Amino acid sequence: MAEKITLTVNQVPYTIEIEGWEHLIDVLRDEIGLTGTKRGCDDLSCGACTVLMNGEAVKSCQVLAKRASGADVVTIEALAQGTKLHPIQEALIESGAVQCGFCIPGIVMGLHGLFRKKLDATEAEIADTLENHLCRCTGYEAIFEGAKLAQKKLKAR
Amino acid sequence: MSLKYVGKNITRPDAVQKATGKARFLADIKLPGMLYAAILRPGHAHARIVSIDTSEAEKCEGVVKVITGKGCSQKYRYGDNIRDFVPMADEKVRYIGEPLAAVIAKNPHQAKEALKKITVQVHPLPVYTQATDALADGATLIHEASGDYWHLPGVGPKPGTNIATHYRLKKGDAAKGFAESDVVVEAEFKYPFGSCAAIEPHGSIVWFHEDGMIEIWSSSICPFIIREEVARVYDRPESDVRVHIPEVGGCFGYKSDITVEQTVAYIASFVPGHPVKWVATRKEDFTSTLLGHGMVIRMKIGAKKDGKLMALATTVYHSTGAYADTGLHVSIAAAHNSTGAYEYPNCDLETFLTYTNTPPIGAWRGYGHPEAQFAQERLIEILARKLGMDRFALREKNYLGPGKITSLGEHLWETNGSIQKCVDVVKRTVFDKPRPPEDPEYYYGRGFAAIMKSPKGAPFSSKGAYLKFNADGSVVINCGGAEVGQGLRNVVRLVAAETLKMPPERIHVYTEIDTQFSPWEWQTIGSMFTKQGGRAVWRACLKAIAQMKQTASQVLRCDVDLLDYDGEYVFLASDPSVKVEVTKLVRGYMYENGMVVGEVVQACADARLPRYSGFDPATGQGSMGVSYTFGAQAAEIRIEKKTGKIIVDHFASCFDVGRVIQPQQIRGQVTGGVVMTVGAALCEEVRFDQDGKCVNPLFRKYRFPTIKDAPKKQTVDFVETPGVIGPYGARGIGEHPVIGPPPAILNAIHDATGIDFFEIPVTPEKMKKALDEKGSGGEK
Repeated sequence: MAEKITLTVNQVPYTIEIEGWEHLIDVLRDEIGLTGTKRGCDDLSCGACTVLMNGEAVKSCQVLAKRASGADVVTIEALAQGTKLHPIQEALIESGAVQCGFCIPGIVMGLHGLFRKKLDATEAEIADTLENHLCRCTGYEAIFEGAKLAQKKLKAR
Repeated sequence: MSLKYVGKNITRPDAVQKATGKARFLADIKLPGMLYAAILRPGHAHARIVSIDTSEAEKCEGVVKVITGKGCSQKYRYGDNIRDFVPMADEKVRYIGEPLAAVIAKNPHQAKEALKKITVQVHPLPVYTQATDALADGATLIHEASGDYWHLPGVGPKPGTNIATHYRLKKGDAAKGFAESDVVVEAEFKYPFGSCAAIEPHGSIVWFHEDGMIEIWSSSICPFIIREEVARVYDRPESDVRVHIPEVGGCFGYKSDITVEQTVAYIASFVPGHPVKWVATRKEDFTSTLLGHGMVIRMKIGAKKDGKLMALATTVYHSTGAYADTGLHVSIAAAHNSTGAYEYPNCDLETFLTYTNTPPIGAWRGYGHPEAQFAQERLIEILARKLGMDRFALREKNYLGPGKITSLGEHLWETNGSIQKCVDVVKRTVFDKPRPPEDPEYYYGRGFAAIMKSPKGAPFSSKGAYLKFNADGSVVINCGGAEVGQGLRNVVRLVAAETLKMPPERIHVYTEIDTQFSPWEWQTIGSMFTKQGGRAVWRACLKAIAQMKQTASQVLRCDVDLLDYDGEYVFLASDPSVKVEVTKLVRGYMYENGMVVGEVVQACADARLPRYSGFDPATGQGSMGVSYTFGAQAAEIRIEKKTGKIIVDHFASCFDVGRVIQPQQIRGQVTGGVVMTVGAALCEEVRFDQDGKCVNPLFRKYRFPTIKDAPKKQTVDFVETPGVIGPYGARGIGEHPVIGPPPAILNAIHDATGIDFFEIPVTPEKMKKALDEKGSGGEK
């Protein structure tokens, strides 16, 4: 049964017709066309679909679309300001964390969720956040280094 | 050689697109009129199809067409090596993930919903998940007509059995070698099924255009094989099939060879005019694409008392799954690379590539090397103990190197690199300090593995480059090599920058591959792109420079061999003030009156491994283009006594790569590769029950390392003994790092506890059980 939800994505309001089975990731990718949010698994494991919802990092494949009604959503597409990259993006690039790049949007958003709440997160807390993200390319070393560099850049801002 | 760009940490050209989420992967592509497919998978792993009723599914909302494979095995059979694949099950199903029927609908959700309405009746047949069972006398045949399949010469199924190919390599006289040995050790090793598990699942879009063109997008690394095979099956000229490769979100092997594309093409062929998209769920990515490994390896080594290796016998039982086309060369590579990094004067190495009722096996980073050298590096450690020799001393007596001969019969030279130098580095990093003593909580151990990587490919595995100078002197380069994250676009750019003597930012490299515009490349496999693709780029650059010099010789009125080039000018070597700008040469040189002389500067080149050949059926020997790479790896581990949990505190790797092209990227290749098979060693296994059902086709159940499972520290070093084929002496690195971790870790487990494991993964449960069995309370 079709129903309508309204939500704000990257500061733009949308009203979307849904059938009920859709998750937030389906709305973002298929209805709004924001394909930077990636789908890598069926069981909430990989973290590639991470976005901010009401300021919290969430896996958008686990949020039923109707639960996102009224929410304020931020996706990877909103992080860079024109050609000026967000410090987290800059740091991950500089540390060599970007290989195939499929997990990277989710990791950027996961770290964004962490640092906007707790910029002085400990290394253990950074690792706790990154544990929500699977990467098959890097062995995580460059991602962890990139996360620490991002923190440094954000603090200096 | 002093280099300006090669060897520098210059940012990869695709980083920004990927970090901003703008890079376009297969799932992100939307085309006008696009329809979506969902594919039904069978409930049995081996069964005769009695009936498929699609009538209810056809009535569902949004459904355009429902398709079965009835009759498809005659016209649509495919395969690059053994033509045993079908795009959809016809008459019988052979594994649990096989396509059995498909729904095409207006959206993916409708397609998936309609699948539930299809009813299937089958007659179950015996299921074999292991080669050793499928090889038993009287086993039911998985392919009754395997003898009729087209295959490459020298390989192929043995009719009346489940053997898809038997390969045997003989060097010297193994029986004599064992007879002359003072000590013989033997054991059986198991490297279970694994998934490459790229974070981006497989997927394809196929569009049969009304005008006869077939257009395909796929998350693949072999666009030209897809083009060739689809053209053959659908009886079109290859030029009428156009394959696009968007960004690929990780490969690690299983997106090589043609995998899902023929199935999506078959489905799309029922709705000409509409692009049809299919993207695997993670479950399908496990059960319905390609798996890796599936090998049981029996190995026997004979040696003299002084440690001189005399003979090696290896038998691989390879559970290659329901279709053998993609597993064939993995199996052969496992056999002939089972010597590891050692010279054995006498070898008898064979593999039984065996049909089983499991998903087909294909490339998995390392391509037979990790499996076979897991056995070699474990068994040589056991041999050292039996001989009472130091593990390094035994190995050092037998390393391959200049003057030594591989199992294939190839002579090695200085230019193949130095394993000894790599070993020395790893020894210093790991073994030259004292091992921590056992404490109440942990056992500590260190383990070593030497590795050898051959470039398993095919004789025709050339790579190409197209290079074009623009009017402002900037350059565009197209190659057919698939960027899957390994960073080859940056390799192309840096090699070109160095050779053309211009800043990398003046060189733009390709994003997607398009068979209509990209140079031909067989497929991007075997850790060969830097070496071969890099060489093709280097050659294309030299051709472009030669073109400019040719034109300049007319303009400057001198012999061409008196000219030099510095990136901005072509000039007279004896008097550099006599010169002409590159920008004035790139479209030919135009005189003031508008007259133009000389060629437009655009070059095309290819490169291949010299004298690479297939194998001689009598001996199994042949040539890999004498293109080997060596390395050494070591693990420092801790085993928690209470739980059996194995923690890798430090992992060290050193490879002789000839030349480091980009330090940060090559380190990333190694750190990523190491973690991949730390996973294989400690937690990864795709498991099937006795009915052939996959019991863990989800990331939550197929655990691969998270950041917390990765080694606490990695040391990565390189030796740079230049090779002669690759650009600036470079060799490959992509697959090498995954070879050593499982044997190094299992050797470290023995070092820590005195317990020998012969199969992976060594989970905490298995470790704990072994500790408990060894002594009460897990005491050493």
